[in-house]
Amino acid sequence: MPRTSILIAENICLIRKGLRSVIQKLGNAEILQSISNKEELYDIANRLKPDVLIANPNMLNSTSEDLKRHFLNAKKMSLVLISDDESIDTKYKADAFLHYNDNQNKILTTLEEIIDRKAKKESNNKSNETLSAREQNILKHIALGLTNKEIADQLFISIHTVVTHRKNITQKLGIKSVSGLTVYAILNNLISMDEVK
Amino acid sequence: MHIKESMKMADVIQMNYMLIPVIHRFGIELGFGDKTVTEVCIENEVDLNFFLQLVNAYHDQDYFPKEELQTIPVHEIVAYLKMTHASYLNNTVTEIEQKIKSLELEGSEDKKYIALIRNFFEGYKSELTEHIMREEDVVFPYVLAVDEIIKTEKISEENKEIFEQFSIEEYEEDHDDVEEKLLDLRTIMIKYVTPPSNSTLYHSIIQDLFRLEEDLNYHSRIEDKVLIPKIILMEKSIQNLF
Repeated sequence: MPRTSILIAENICLIRKGLRSVIQKLGNAEILQSISNKEELYDIANRLKPDVLIANPNMLNSTSEDLKRHFLNAKKMSLVLISDDESIDTKYKADAFLHYNDNQNKILTTLEEIIDRKAKKESNNKSNETLSAREQNILKHIALGLTNKEIADQLFISIHTVVTHRKNITQKLGIKSVSGLTVYAILNNLISMDEVK
Repeated sequence: MHIKESMKMADVIQMNYMLIPVIHRFGIELGFGDKTVTEVCIENEVDLNFFLQLVNAYHDQDYFPKEELQTIPVHEIVAYLKMTHASYLNNTVTEIEQKIKSLELEGSEDKKYIALIRNFFEGYKSELTEHIMREEDVVFPYVLAVDEIIKTEKISEENKEIFEQFSIEEYEEDHDDVEEKLLDLRTIMIKYVTPPSNSTLYHSIIQDLFRLEEDLNYHSRIEDKVLIPKIILMEKSIQNLF
């Protein structure tokens, strides 16, 4: 499964950088670009065709509900709105909403759900053993050599949850050992060969 | 059908070709004409009872003549296990490694994947080597010491030290699953890798992995079902003796 590409459009520098650092904790996603300039957004989005656009509504040229209609070449793109305005959820139509005061876990879960939904759409009848985005993320961390405790700390979940995910991953893939899981992660582009120590 | 001493050795091999490496470990070479199992064993100075029990246990998974196996001298079992260790490391594992390497040399666009498989197999190899070394350096000397204590009914200073530093239970505990990695490799090669252009070689590696696994399973059966119970009993009688 290919990496999910993400474009960020947000005029506040701290939010852009913060979002980038949180997204880096996602297993199977890459940030194409962060945009602070409203004028460039449509051009860049139509050219890069990201899977997901995370944008502040004030970066978008529309007051109407249908924010997506200007992205002519990026119709399949999921739109995630981010704002300090709690009422965006009702004001606009989007695939998901993030707020400045969301904690890291909430942001990660929201984005993973989006990635999951996309994956399901694309591979509707692929084998049922496809890992969920969260499982892929955990698998990536396992492959990087992290312990259960370290994974739990990084993703803000309990060790118990990590263990459950690991069990499910092993069951779905039929691979038990860490080195076997690492090979799987590389074969499926979850991590690159250079990242493995 | 069980293998009997009066059978022709050639028929035994015809019945199960997986026994070829097993008899090889006893130093028996092919080309035995019409000689019977007994004759071949005498010629090669192989303990007939031990040979029969082993090939039968190998040939038939459910055949497990605990009592007969229990009568086999400890040093014979240890010698056999050592021979199988050597044959894994010097032949089987090395051969698979060579095949993977030549696959890697051929490959063009699949090179990356084959390198992954090679790395993985090398990881497995060092784990297996470590496991085997531990058996040879710690477990077998201990087992032989226990055997000597029972036989002589005396504890020498040297044996006393060995006996006190280890117990077979420890071994049972960390007799961990070296086979897990082997299984994973097989699964990865079957389920997740697109075979390279030389699929014949690729397939033969997978078949080799199956055979190695089967062989190792048998090997651990001998360790877990024969050697360990035997030693546990001996440990108890030593504790009662002294």
